[in-house]
This record gives sequence, structure tokens and C-alpha cells, in this order.
Amino acid sequence: MIEVFGYLTWRSARNRIVRQLRQLRSPRYLAALLLGLAYLWFVVIGQRPTTSATATVDPKVLELIGASALFGAVAWGWIFGVERRVLAFSPAEVTFLFSGPVSRQGLIQFKLLRTQLLILFNALLWTLILSRERFGVSAWLRVISIWVMLTTLSFHRLGASFVRTSLSEHGRLGARHRSVSLVVLGAFLVALVWSIADALPELVAARQQAGSNFLTAMAAAFDRPLARVLTYPFRIMIRPLAAHSMAEWLASLWPALLLMVLHYVWVVRSDTAFEEAAAEASLQRATAMASGGISVPATGQRPRRALIRLSASGWPAGAILWKNLMAATRTRRMRSTAVSLALAGVVVAVLSFDPEGTLAEAAGWLALFWAGLMVISGPQYVRNDLRGDLLKLDLLRSYPLRGWSVVLAEAGASTLMLTLIQVALLGLSYLAFLGNQTLYPGLEERTLLLLLSLVFLPPINLLGMLIQNGAALLYPAWVRVGAGRPGGVEILGQNLLMVIAFALLLGLTLIIPAALGGGSYLLLRPGIGDWAMLPSAGLALLAMGYEASWMVEWLGGLFERTDPVAAGITT
Amino acid sequence: MIQVDGLHKLYGDFPAVQGLSFSVGGGEVLGLVGPNGAGKTTTIRSIAGIIIPTSGRIEVAGHDLKADPVAAKGALAFIPDEPHLFEYLTVEEHLRFVARLYRLGDVGPRIPGLLAELDLSDKRHALPGELSRGMKQKLAIACGLLHDPKALLLDEPLTGLDPVGIRRMKSTIMRRAAEGTAVILSSHLLHLVEEICTRVLVMQRGRAVAFGSIPEILAERPDLRSRKLEDVFLALIGQGGDAGQP
Repeated sequence: MIEVFGYLTWRSARNRIVRQLRQLRSPRYLAALLLGLAYLWFVVIGQRPTTSATATVDPKVLELIGASALFGAVAWGWIFGVERRVLAFSPAEVTFLFSGPVSRQGLIQFKLLRTQLLILFNALLWTLILSRERFGVSAWLRVISIWVMLTTLSFHRLGASFVRTSLSEHGRLGARHRSVSLVVLGAFLVALVWSIADALPELVAARQQAGSNFLTAMAAAFDRPLARVLTYPFRIMIRPLAAHSMAEWLASLWPALLLMVLHYVWVVRSDTAFEEAAAEASLQRATAMASGGISVPATGQRPRRALIRLSASGWPAGAILWKNLMAATRTRRMRSTAVSLALAGVVVAVLSFDPEGTLAEAAGWLALFWAGLMVISGPQYVRNDLRGDLLKLDLLRSYPLRGWSVVLAEAGASTLMLTLIQVALLGLSYLAFLGNQTLYPGLEERTLLLLLSLVFLPPINLLGMLIQNGAALLYPAWVRVGAGRPGGVEILGQNLLMVIAFALLLGLTLIIPAALGGGSYLLLRPGIGDWAMLPSAGLALLAMGYEASWMVEWLGGLFERTDPVAAGITT
Repeated sequence: MIQVDGLHKLYGDFPAVQGLSFSVGGGEVLGLVGPNGAGKTTTIRSIAGIIIPTSGRIEVAGHDLKADPVAAKGALAFIPDEPHLFEYLTVEEHLRFVARLYRLGDVGPRIPGLLAELDLSDKRHALPGELSRGMKQKLAIACGLLHDPKALLLDEPLTGLDPVGIRRMKSTIMRRAAEGTAVILSSHLLHLVEEICTRVLVMQRGRAVAFGSIPEILAERPDLRSRKLEDVFLALIGQGGDAGQP
């Protein structure tokens, strides 16, 4: 059976690549490919080691950081069960494989095989991205090390997803069925709590001293016997990356390989849970595809009352904006995010008046960091716009609307949602520092900054969303339209490169507004003092508005000219 | 009401539609028939403004589709064979959404009657995920007809409907035509075409091979006069042979 799966995987991948390469006959796609290659070349050249060969990353530090990151990824999988997408079969796969003479174990092997292509590609990308860091033996061995690490991680999160599904579907019966996994997990959690409690006094003491002491204390905490046992699986996944000689690499690889094989056995033996999880994930995938890639509520689940009412009159394309906002308000993830942010806001505001205030302060900085990060990462993840609706291009094109109004409404919905999340995070940060009298900038300046963010974030986010929607319109055959958000630990490398490319484009777009705003401020400040901020901000906003209107007009024309069949957009 | 002149559509080097010209007046029902790949769907989707023709001119209710697409699209409704619905909007919200798009004002008072007509009253607050395929199709049709289009384009309109739905669909099409709507429908169901279409356009490899009412087409081909409609169709597209010869 493995040959059949290999054939299906290989031919599907090959035909997909051939189909995408055919697009290169279009100058637009060819130009994008050349730019992409130049970008990758820049990454490789830019990442060439500049330090001497002897300067290496301390293996202990690498092990500590790497193991912590892997622990975070594993914990995320257990808490959120995010690996469902690996289980999702396409409607064709369900038709041919589920009803065919294929065992459940065979189906798991097929899905794991398909994931391998993605993991291999991303292992190569990570090798490129990390090529500046002088650790590991050689680039090729590093590819193998990263492949083993990503595969193990992927298997683990898949296994965790099985356990979660089994428990949620069958409760006590599921718990009995998954008893071994649960006992191991329980023992790990107890030991972890014990270990943290044991090391906490030293860590708190180190925290009150200088920064480097804290890292040393962390390393010491990780070195305690119990912590060493707990972090051992994570360390052995990292060690091949840190090896400095072939012998060292070989010695560190086999435990990592053994761990990977153990995970494989664990996952492949999870056939019952797999069947349930796969069925659920496939159903979600099928409905998500039908809805243009937005995850949909379970059948039978009553929709919530509309939070926003659509008025009978007004801008016609406003209906599209409303539709996308409705989709967001009816998503469980969005609702839980809103509730969590509101609750967190109340808690940190109360905590901020505590004389120690450490917890509120940490939450404040985290929220601030997150809000800033979302300027770059947000447009890739908030996708209730053309990227979700392009699979319904037929329907959109039949509406009596000009292209520019469709583009504006679609991008506007995502912009609004992203801005709301950022403003909530900034508000959270503001509340966290509310009782802090010593922080610079002071309360008045912080209030002013918060108000300024309300003015500047929407146009910046709109430009970001227009770039993302423009990419989907320009390259529908290459950009993922519909079918959910990009994600998963396997394609972290791809996502990282995409985020960097997007940040560069957004930065380019913001150069002129920033130059105009900054330049006018410098010119006017000697004359009118701080009041120069007002015309400068106005000028920057005007420039962003002009850029956005130009992009909306251009993308609108593109929308009107896009032929769904020629562009390869098929439902 | 619908005027098509010299419609050409190329996909790369492949001609999907070649030099198609026809018109459909108010009250007429034109049936597009032809084998798979004949260009029926491309023709309908070009008239709906979804596909951009390589050349040719399309006019809907007096509006040039290229020069004034918003007015032209505002006068037509396109109902595809697969109902495209938004998974997060309820049945009623779909109707309100369409009303806003087509500037229909407050359709609230009309909604209960419309839903009752479609047997969807108890599904008013349901999401598409809770509807059967037939119900989804009904909702898509209701959305298409809400703005009383002057031109109605239907691609395989009976797909997925049960016998009651089929009868209702046919009577809806005929009633709309009787009220002055120009209707174009594409279908493989020849009995449907024979029953409700006033004229037929038979397509083969992107070209029109016959156009007119069934008696007009038979008048041009006396050799086919005594044959069943299915045989006439097969003969017109060059697949006839002697099959079905009485």
C-alpha cells in the first residue's frame, strides 16, 4: 500500500508544481519568481557567517533555548490541539481511501507521508535561515537534524491531538483507552510542577538581580536532576544541531531518531482515535472549503444573534464588510479572544495598583509587544477578506459593484478586526501601567500615545491588508486562497520568510508617509514647538490615505479583470 | 433584454466560445444545450459578468456590460448549479445582505412571505450548514430573485432539487418569464428544455449549431422531423448516427 501512497503523494506534488510553473508564462508570475529567488539569495548571502570559524554558539545555551522552545510548541499542542489540519483529508481522499481497502494504520501512514514533503522543504528553509549561526557540523547534516526534530514534533502534536479527541469524544471510556498516554502525561505534569516549585526561590532571587544572572539561574534550574529528566526528550532533539564533529553528530542523532520512531509507533497505534479525529477534521475542512476557507461552526450549532445589524440603506459594498465582520463575531476563537482580553484588562488594571505590580507590568509589556508584532504578523493571520472569499469569485463578480468597492470592503473588514485586537491589547497595556507612577513616559504621554495609535493603526493596517489581498489577487495560483490560515510547526520556516517579505513591503509603503511626516515635523518644530506634531501627523495620514486609495483603485481594476478559470481559482 | 454580439472567449489557444450572437427578449426563455465542453457555462458566465470575453459585446437591459457593469449586473441574476452561500450568515441574513447589495431598501416585511413560499420559514435563523442541498439551492434562488431581475441566468437549475422543488422551480421560471423577464438556462435535461423554453440554442465546440424554437429547428432539418428530441439533439451535434431511427 505504501507504493500507492507514494505514487499519489509524488504525482500530486509533481503535478501541482508543474501547474504552478505553467503560470510562469505570465510575466507577472515570472517577475515574482525572480524576485523571490533574489530574496532567497539575499537571505543566503546575507546570512553567510561573518564571524570567525571558532566563534560558535554555546551548546548549553542552544540546548536551553531550543529545549524551551520545543517545550512551548509541545505544550501548545496539548492545550490547543492545533495539529488537526494534518488529519484533514480532502473530499477526494475520503471518497477513494476511506471507502477503499485501506487500513486505518495505512491512512495514518499516508497522512504522515504527505506531511514529510512539507517538513523536508521547511528543514531546508530553516537551514538557510540559520546559516549565519555557526553551530552544527555541516549544512546537509543540519538539514537532517532539523528534519528529525520537526518530524518528531509533528508526530508528538498529532499524538496529543488523538488523546484530546479521544477524551472529548468518549470521556471516561476515552480516558481508559488512552490510559498509558494519560499516565505518562500526568507524571510529567506532576514532576514539572515539583521541579518548578523546587527551583523557584533561586529564580526569583536571580530575577531581582542583573539580567545575566537570571539566565545562569535558569541554566542551573534546568541542570537539576529532575529537570534534566523532564527536559531530556527536548534536549536530545536539539543535540544533533549543536554537534561539532561527525562523531558527535552521529552519537547525538541516534537517540533523536529513536525518539522519532517511538513517536511514530505511538501515532500509528492510535487508530481508533485517529478515525474520529480524522472524520471531524475532514468535515471541518470540507465545510471550510465550501465557505471559502473560513472555519465554520459545527452543524446544529445555533448561530449567535447578530452583534451588528445591517442597515437597509447605505454603501452597497458595506454588505460585504458586514458579512466578514459577522463571520468573525461568530467564530469561537474570536469570541474567546475578546472575552479573555476583557477579563485580562480588568485583572491587570486591579493588579497595576499593587505596590509590587510585577505581574501587571509583565502583562503590560507582553500586550504592548504583541500589539506591535501584530502590525507585521496580523495581516497574515486575520484573513476574513478576499483571501477567504476568492473561492467565491463567481458570486462576488456577479454583484452590481465596482471592483474597487469590493476590494475596499474586503480589506476594510480585516483592517477593522486587526485594529480592534491591537487597540484592545494597547488598552490592556495602558491599564497594566495605570497605577505605575515611575514609568516613563508618564500617564499623560501614554494617553496621548494611545490616542495616536487609534489614528495611525487603521491606515497602517489597511495598507498591510491591501498588500496581502493584492498578493492573493495577483498570484491566486500561488497564494493560499480559502482553505484556512497558514500554520503548523512544519511550515514555520515558510511563514517566517513570508512575514519578513511582507514586513519589507510594508516598510517600503510607509517610507513616503514617514518621510513626509518626519520631515515636516523637523521643519516646523523650531517655529511652533510640539504643535508641529499635528500638521506632521496629518501629512503622514494624508500620504497613507493617498497610497491606500491608489492601491484600492488598482486592485479594484485587477479584481474586475481577473478571470476565475484562467487564474486557476476553482472551488 | 439580453443581446450578445460576436462573443469570443479564448483560454490560451483554446476557443471556448466562438462568434456567438443571439438575443433574448423579455418573456422569452432560451435553453442552452450542448455536450460537455460546448461552451454553455462560459457563455452564461460571460453574460453574468464573471468571465471577461476575449471579444464581443454583451448588453443587459440596455446596459453595455463592459461600459456600465454595475447597471447591467443590477438588472440580472445569476444562479449557478452549485449554491454559493456564506457559511456564517443565516437564511434571513442572506436576504438582507442581497437587499443591501442591490439597494432594495428594507426587505424586512417581505422576508416572511418569501421564506414561506420557499418552505424555509422554520429555517429563518439557520446557517447554511444546517440546510439540505435542496434548501441551499432554494435559498440561492431566493437571493437571485429578490431584486426582481430583468434578466435571469440559470446554470443547470434543477441540480439537487427533489420532485417538489423541480416543479416549483419550473413554475417559478415560467412565471418570471410571463412577467417579462428574459431567461437563459443551460441544461442537459432535454425534456426540461422542451417543456419550458421558447427557443433553444444548441452549442458544439463553442459555436451555435442551431438556434430557434424547436419547430423552427426541425423546419431547417426536415430529415430529423420524425425523430425524438434526444435524437434531434444528437444529430445536431454530430453524434446521431442511426440511433433512435423510427
